[in-house]
Amino acid sequence: MAIAREAGPRELAGVVVQAPRRPLGRLLRRYAPITLGILLAVAMIVIAAAAPLLAPLSPSAQFADAVLKGPGAVERHALGTDEFGRDILSRVIWGTRISLQVGLASVIFGFALGVPLGILAGVQGGRCETGIMRCADMLMAFPTLLLALIIVTALGGSLINEIVAIGVALTPNFVRLSRSLALTIREQDYIMAARAVGSGQLRVMALHVFPNALYALVVVATLYIATAIRTEASLSFLGLGIPPPTPSWGNILSEGRQYIKCCPWITTFSGLAIMLAVLAFNLTGDALRDLLDPRLRGE
Amino acid sequence: MVTYVLRRLLVAVPMLLGAMSIVFFAMRVLPGDPCVAMMGDQATSEALADCTRNLGLNRPLVVQYADYMWRSVQLDFGKSLRQGYPVSEYIGRMFPHTFILVMAAAVVAALVGIPVGIVSALKRRNPLIDYPLRIFALLGLSMPVFWLGILLLIFFSLRLNLFPLIGGGDLDGVISMIRTGEIFRYPGDFLAAVADVLHHLALPALALGFTLAATVSRLSRSAMLEVISQDYIRTARAKGQIERAVVYKHALRNMMVPLLTIIGLFVAIALTGTVLTETVFTRPGLGKMLVDAIGARDYPLAQGAITVFTMIIITVNLMVDMLYAAVDPRITYK
Repeated sequence: MAIAREAGPRELAGVVVQAPRRPLGRLLRRYAPITLGILLAVAMIVIAAAAPLLAPLSPSAQFADAVLKGPGAVERHALGTDEFGRDILSRVIWGTRISLQVGLASVIFGFALGVPLGILAGVQGGRCETGIMRCADMLMAFPTLLLALIIVTALGGSLINEIVAIGVALTPNFVRLSRSLALTIREQDYIMAARAVGSGQLRVMALHVFPNALYALVVVATLYIATAIRTEASLSFLGLGIPPPTPSWGNILSEGRQYIKCCPWITTFSGLAIMLAVLAFNLTGDALRDLLDPRLRGE
Repeated sequence: MVTYVLRRLLVAVPMLLGAMSIVFFAMRVLPGDPCVAMMGDQATSEALADCTRNLGLNRPLVVQYADYMWRSVQLDFGKSLRQGYPVSEYIGRMFPHTFILVMAAAVVAALVGIPVGIVSALKRRNPLIDYPLRIFALLGLSMPVFWLGILLLIFFSLRLNLFPLIGGGDLDGVISMIRTGEIFRYPGDFLAAVADVLHHLALPALALGFTLAATVSRLSRSAMLEVISQDYIRTARAKGQIERAVVYKHALRNMMVPLLTIIGLFVAIALTGTVLTETVFTRPGLGKMLVDAIGARDYPLAQGAITVFTMIIITVNLMVDMLYAAVDPRITYK
């Protein structure tokens, strides 16, 4: 107080209220994973969208003079070629499209199917809940890849079938999560208030329960994109995904398997692409969860 | 406890039957005639009719379904279309290969994953330790097992020539030596056969184990974090125990209880992993058998393999729930 009284108006005007400083290390620790994850994910989206512009050659063009050449061995093939003389770089770039399409579309499919069912089960309760949850439990008995494999076997390998198969395989996860969120949300005062002003069941679910569950669902959906991309690559690797010659990362890797002795680059680059894509969405999902879940803050 | 076990059984049995029904309908009702798939589009209608009759596909669906369910619960999955002999016999031969792979991978995952998770939790304020460990876990989660397998094959089998490229060793021989008592007559041969099996097992177990270690380390990290924030840990510290005693005597033991619950999840991930691992390493086993059966349109074999996978997962989950009830008496079941 004494200092303040002694200080003249000019000195006081010079005082700048500073926000408490955060050490750079802490900021880095907190935001580096999400930054890296988002950068990788954005890069993937850009590569997928601009594949025709970015790919130096057509992914299906065969060059008889450059069969199984290593990275840089032939001028126009930076990452080498496969057994048909196709450019690996172009195929990996085009493969990004398939992975992202399947990753996003199957998660949207699972979300659109699972979340309404889960919220309905959570809010409605009773027989409706038992019926929905028993079905979800039954599907949960199958690991994601196994269930997707069963469906794809029955439907046949194609882009749409793969999306449906992985989407259905992810659905029970969304049902379970949205039900457990809905169970908590339905006990909140604002739900009682909404009911008191005459909101019907559907209105409560769509306008109150769903928006409040949304952020947690989006975080988990981001993580499931990683699962979907990995599952797609696994199905393609097993020869059950999109049939060749469409360049999907799993296909490239599967075809390159026969040539690991002479030409390991085919499997190396396609595998690296799968890993980076899965890492991107794992990092983003993890970081989003840490940032949005206050219980984990400060850890 | 008895009521709880009975109640869990009552839930598990319909779940198993439901899962088996899903397998049945996926294989029969969805588009695609197994006979057309097996014989190709060029097959004559007589040949197709013959095939349909032989497989029993001309019977009403309800009859087929009831027959399939009744035989499946007796572990009779019919005969393999390609191989000709009973599916259950085939599964019985493949099961030990998959079993030892899952067990070996579990050992790798536990030996790597649990210490990594614990250290990562205890040293979470030290970025120089926590960060590399978390990156390791993230890489393990993101790296597809089939790619890691190929990288290991390229490096250890092709470059260094240390491990075999394909196969699973003579496990059948080892098993028959144990069964016939030859193990005591020819201990040298037996040990050589076991060494050969382990030699073939090393890389697949490492590949599958590493990807599983990532999941285990994350779960042990969160289990450890949960435990060290408990009051009894504060009490242990307050009475002046050294940190090591706090960790080993109090935290570690209690951390293992939540870890038990992941065994079910672990088995599910590991079994899925075997499908990919066995394919990459061209190893015999249930996973490779399933992929081959699907490729060859051998529906009874594929159906049998998937049913067995599901049975194992549901049974393990049931056992884990019971184990959990036995280990932690505080839990009340509704």
